[in-house]
Amino acid sequence: MSDTAVGFLILGIGMLVVLGIVFAISSRPGPATPRPTPPPGVHLPPPSFLPVVLSVAGALLGAGLAFRGEDQLANPFLAIPGLLVLVLGAIWWVRAANREWQETEHGSHAGHGSRGSHDDGAAH
Amino acid sequence: MATTTLEPPAGAPAYQRFWVLDWLTTVDHKKIGILYIVNSFLFFFAAGILALVVRSELAVPGLQIVDQDTFNQAFTMHGTIMLFLFIIPALSGFANYIVPLQLGAPDMAFPRINALSFWLLPLGGGLIFSGYLFGGAAAEGWTGYAPLTQQGGVGTDLWIIGLLLVGTASILGAVNFITTVFKMRAPGMTLFRMPIFVWTVLVTAVLILLATPVLAAGLIALFIDRNYGGSFFDPSVGGNPILWQHIFWFFGHPEVYIVILPAMGVVSEVLPVFSRKPLFGYKAFVFATIAIGFLSWTVWAHHMFTTGAVFLPFFSFMTALIAIPTGIKMFNWLATLWRGKLMLTTAMLFALGFISMFLIGGISGVMLASPPIDFHVQDTYFVVAHLHYVFFGGSVFGVFAATYYWFPKMTGKKLNEPLGKVHFWIHFIGFNLAFFPMHQLGLSGMPRRVSDYSPDAGWTILNMVSTVGAFMIAVSILPFLVNVVATFINGEPAGDDPWEGNTLEWATTSPPPPYNFDRLPPIHSERPLFFLTHGHGHAAERPADLEEDEAEDVEHRKGLV
Amino acid sequence: MTARTMQAHPAGEEAAEAAIAHGASGMPTALVGMLLFIASEVMFFGGLFATYFSARAGVPAGAWHPPEPGHLDLPLAAVLTAVLVASSFTMQFGVWAIRRGDPGKLRLWTAITLGLGILFLAGQLYDYSQLGFSIADSSFGTVFYTLTGFHGAHVFGGVVGLTIVLARTTRGQFTARNHVAVEAVSMYWHFVDVVWIFVFSTIYLLR
Repeated sequence: MSDTAVGFLILGIGMLVVLGIVFAISSRPGPATPRPTPPPGVHLPPPSFLPVVLSVAGALLGAGLAFRGEDQLANPFLAIPGLLVLVLGAIWWVRAANREWQETEHGSHAGHGSRGSHDDGAAH
Repeated sequence: MATTTLEPPAGAPAYQRFWVLDWLTTVDHKKIGILYIVNSFLFFFAAGILALVVRSELAVPGLQIVDQDTFNQAFTMHGTIMLFLFIIPALSGFANYIVPLQLGAPDMAFPRINALSFWLLPLGGGLIFSGYLFGGAAAEGWTGYAPLTQQGGVGTDLWIIGLLLVGTASILGAVNFITTVFKMRAPGMTLFRMPIFVWTVLVTAVLILLATPVLAAGLIALFIDRNYGGSFFDPSVGGNPILWQHIFWFFGHPEVYIVILPAMGVVSEVLPVFSRKPLFGYKAFVFATIAIGFLSWTVWAHHMFTTGAVFLPFFSFMTALIAIPTGIKMFNWLATLWRGKLMLTTAMLFALGFISMFLIGGISGVMLASPPIDFHVQDTYFVVAHLHYVFFGGSVFGVFAATYYWFPKMTGKKLNEPLGKVHFWIHFIGFNLAFFPMHQLGLSGMPRRVSDYSPDAGWTILNMVSTVGAFMIAVSILPFLVNVVATFINGEPAGDDPWEGNTLEWATTSPPPPYNFDRLPPIHSERPLFFLTHGHGHAAERPADLEEDEAEDVEHRKGLV
Repeated sequence: MTARTMQAHPAGEEAAEAAIAHGASGMPTALVGMLLFIASEVMFFGGLFATYFSARAGVPAGAWHPPEPGHLDLPLAAVLTAVLVASSFTMQFGVWAIRRGDPGKLRLWTAITLGLGILFLAGQLYDYSQLGFSIADSSFGTVFYTLTGFHGAHVFGGVVGLTIVLARTTRGQFTARNHVAVEAVSMYWHFVDVVWIFVFSTIYLLR
């Protein structure tokens, strides 16, 4: 069996299994259930696309290094978009974390605070 | 009665309807934990198929199924994927889900970095696998020895880059876990009241934090050698191949303790609950874990005895020494079982299987610590037997024990017990059939990483038996998968605490709300839920002590950090 | 399943919330994270130093130097060392300033530190252009560029952090009570400085 065939076979089986599991456990969209609120003093950060985006960017940069041509530092078509998205994504991340910190610190009074996000602008 | 009440105010935003988006953008440690676990099982199946390729080829002499290069890719990818993309992420996933709950915390210290740690995994793993699409995956063994790696194609570069991404994910995760343990414990939970699982995760995280960067340095050096004309490891340009082995194994040995310690933590959670007794010797266990953590840095060269470049007495002594804290743990577990009221649930069976199989693996490990023996069996199937007894009989059994134990908490439904037992027994028998013969194969000289062997060597029957065992393991996965899917669709509801557990994760709903707890029980011991349920009739706690503790817990949350 | 009532301490609950809520005990969470991250970076450089010493040990005595016609520029490296060490001092002055509640001084010292950091990087790049050997020229070239190159990359990361701190302090976001980012970046900057002292001592002094 050739390598490429093995690769595609694994890829294909993997995708089918993923889709199957995802289908089995997906919450069927029903009536919108209201989000329960945490007790006072507990702040949880909101969902974010940035982890996925930064991971993809890192993988692009890495792929650019792996697929470099002769006499190249890295493949520019992969590495440059990867690096750009990585840098921009990191800036976005830091600013979002900063904004959330400002909101929790300023939008609260004594007795309130941030438990899950007590850091001053550090990316979390 | 539900212990958490959900009281959403009017007008609160609704859950996202598109679950794909929900899971893609989540920063909730529970969802991330599930992502880790599902992702790792997928890689488990992929690497398992590769193992079946290896075993099918080796069943009888002659190259029937694959050529040598494909075979080399198969065992390389099998090892790499199993270690870096199945075992560690699976245990990480359980740790991610359970540790904040066991600490009484609402989430990990850095939730978004937690998500980043996860997403790097499928991408890194995808890069590693993509070698198959570009002329061949890495084929130099999961240990990637120089100078053989100099000759690999782009698959080897993808292997390096993918591992760098996966390693970064691990390091970020380690930072997260250590910070969470030191900063996010509920009031009253001193370090010595933490569940054992959290202790093992803590020590593991320290090992990851300090060992993985060394691997990163080595991988980067290898990449520079292969791509930019570097001369770290290539002897033809002045490099030193033994340097690679030192760097790799300086990471590689702590790595194997990274793989086993959380599984030991799982076993230490499961055994007390299903023996209806506390873990025997909590403090001894904690110190043994820390001792293993320290000693793991001093033994790396036992993988290199036969290079002639190693000071044998020191490394042999330290390797034998590390068996002592491990042995202490064994006795802790046995003493926990002794005179307990044993409930042989599937999780308990896997935990008992862990103890027996890891014992065998540990004994073969002590044999390997002795250079006179090691010189004869290095790079033979004896080592393959040893590593599978500890990795598979140890860590993988631990992963399955964790799955059966915590599945009700994560999904609100209990896995079917009879089906679980079918899974366990076929798995257990298949495992021993597959790997026990390898001890003998190694002793009679069969080298590892060979795609074929002579029909006159006398190895054929044992290889055949081993292959049958491997396929039995594969078959045993079927009742497990059926169980998981059927339980999701129509399983028996579990309630908050189906096993009458001792630790805090059982003090909230199954599954928990996003912020984990509405209220926490008082914490005065390492078994807060036990005392909540059964009252303070335990001889060790007097009411006067408790009152003192209460005041102390709340006012003085001391700690170095 | 047994019915249970949750006995939360009535009086203690609020105190507990307040205590945890503001991370009142011990080092701030973000700083713990930075410290751990620095620990991992120390191990990374440890690995690189291991390759340096291994390469050096594999070469006969007296033969450990850049391949001809390359050379090392000790005077320039010494100047760069002075620049980086000075920048650590200026960074610390900034931290002390904000702990006293003086954001104006913080801004001044951060700007100076940033300037010195950029000066270091510029000097490093100039050095590279003058050296006369590359990463592929002998094992000396390989370990030299890898060690100094990754150090330079870490300095660059610190420069980015300093820029962010400067921007935020210009906007008046730091107070005596609330300046964890400054502490974190300064910790990282000291780490980068200490690593350079080891790099300089090893490559230029020990030889």
